[in-house]
Amino acid sequence: MALEVRTLSGGETEEGSEAPTIQGTVPPKLETQELSAWFGAKRALDSVSLQIPPNAVTAIIGPSGCGKSTYLRCLNRMHELVDGARMEGHVLLDGQGVYQEDPMRVRRRIGMVFQRANPFPTMTIHANVAAGLRFAGIRNPDAIDKAVVRSLKRAALWDEVKEDVWRPGTSLSGGQQQRLCIARALAVDPEVLLMDEPASALDPIATGKIEDLIFELKKEMTIVIVTHNMQQAARVADFTAFLYLGKLIEFDRTRDLFERPKETLTENYITGRFG
Amino acid sequence: MTAMPTGTPAERKALAKGLLKLNENMLTLAELSELAIRKAAEALARLDTAIADEVFTIDQEIYALQLEIEKTCGDLIALHAPVASDLRTITTSLKMTTDLDRIGRYAKDIAEITRQFPPEAANWFGRLPGLPKMVDRTIEMVDVVTEAFVRRSADSVRDMAGVDDAVDTLFEETLAAVTGFMAEGSLSADLGVRYILVARYLERIADHAVNIGERVVYMVTGERLPRVRAAERSEQGPSG
Repeated sequence: MALEVRTLSGGETEEGSEAPTIQGTVPPKLETQELSAWFGAKRALDSVSLQIPPNAVTAIIGPSGCGKSTYLRCLNRMHELVDGARMEGHVLLDGQGVYQEDPMRVRRRIGMVFQRANPFPTMTIHANVAAGLRFAGIRNPDAIDKAVVRSLKRAALWDEVKEDVWRPGTSLSGGQQQRLCIARALAVDPEVLLMDEPASALDPIATGKIEDLIFELKKEMTIVIVTHNMQQAARVADFTAFLYLGKLIEFDRTRDLFERPKETLTENYITGRFG
Repeated sequence: MTAMPTGTPAERKALAKGLLKLNENMLTLAELSELAIRKAAEALARLDTAIADEVFTIDQEIYALQLEIEKTCGDLIALHAPVASDLRTITTSLKMTTDLDRIGRYAKDIAEITRQFPPEAANWFGRLPGLPKMVDRTIEMVDVVTEAFVRRSADSVRDMAGVDDAVDTLFEETLAAVTGFMAEGSLSADLGVRYILVARYLERIADHAVNIGERVVYMVTGERLPRVRAAERSEQGPSG
């Protein structure tokens, strides 16, 4: 991959407020420009400028309360759904501002998977996956069936549920439920998948399946994952951003950030010297 | 508040304790390797086989300590998944043990040569001025890189390759002196070759000290020093 990234210190680049960038010919899939976010009077993000490379996994790491989940939720306009929440700055998808678009359309292009698997409790496996399609106005049963099968296959769940798609989604194990939620997110063919600690409630085997899935999915989409698990970030992410107190401290290739971080704050965090 | 990234504070403490033990063992290993060179050189200078035998004992200790360090490194990696400077310290230590072990092995080889000297053989050590200088230089190099490792100082070992050039020059001088004495017939081929081997081993020890210096720079800064050929170094002049 002919990508190069620059790091920045304390949320600012050497040249000012420019985002850490992918130098070369590949434009970023997502970009935030001086993104700030608040919950009421409390500032959760402070001028985060970052370019997220396409067809790659970017991990967002940082201690609790550093703003990483808020950052993720600003990317697909989920943040604005919280009472008293507001944001400033720009979020660009393929160079176009997502806050100038219909939020529902944005969320179809930028799907999201949460920490806790949240299948619709009264729905079957099939209906769970089809839900996004129905919300998008697709009614053709054949088209929905095809999309459900394709999504379950892409989420590496099909072989385990193909005889049981009419059972409740909640009858699956925790790891299967999480893959069901990924299938539901994939059904509308998003270009970006945001994952907020998708494996934190799973055992190592289920976690391994999610990580294998991430590895496969990045071939066809851009993934941004928030994780508390340093080893998981090191395993799955091509790029890693470290946030601290709402600021972007460092962004680099994962291998470089974990082997030779440039910022002392990053070093102290990833080696557990904080606190 | 969730757990710290590499585990709980107690786990961080355990990693720190393991790294401290690693550091102490690395220092001991470096000191043993240096002692092996000193003893080997002393044995050769005096043609004293009893001192040469001590080098064999030291070499065994070096090997045992190397195994222990490898085990410690394996445990730290398996149990703590270290990153950043912690990881660099562990991987550097693993690589350094090989260099220090090789230094010990060369010292043992010099001791072996000393033991093979015929009893009536003349002692040429003092008549080959390059040889004692090589001993001093190589010991000094091992000393410098050990100090740099302990102090986590990259600056003092950035130019070890330049220092090594001086040892290479001494090697060439020793080679010329020995072959000169052999050509005029004052030094037998049997003894001459042994002295050339000793010089060669000392020159290799200096090379391993250079390796260690490069690894210390990486450990401290994350930077990989480029390999520069001696001819290019002399063209560039003294490095900063």
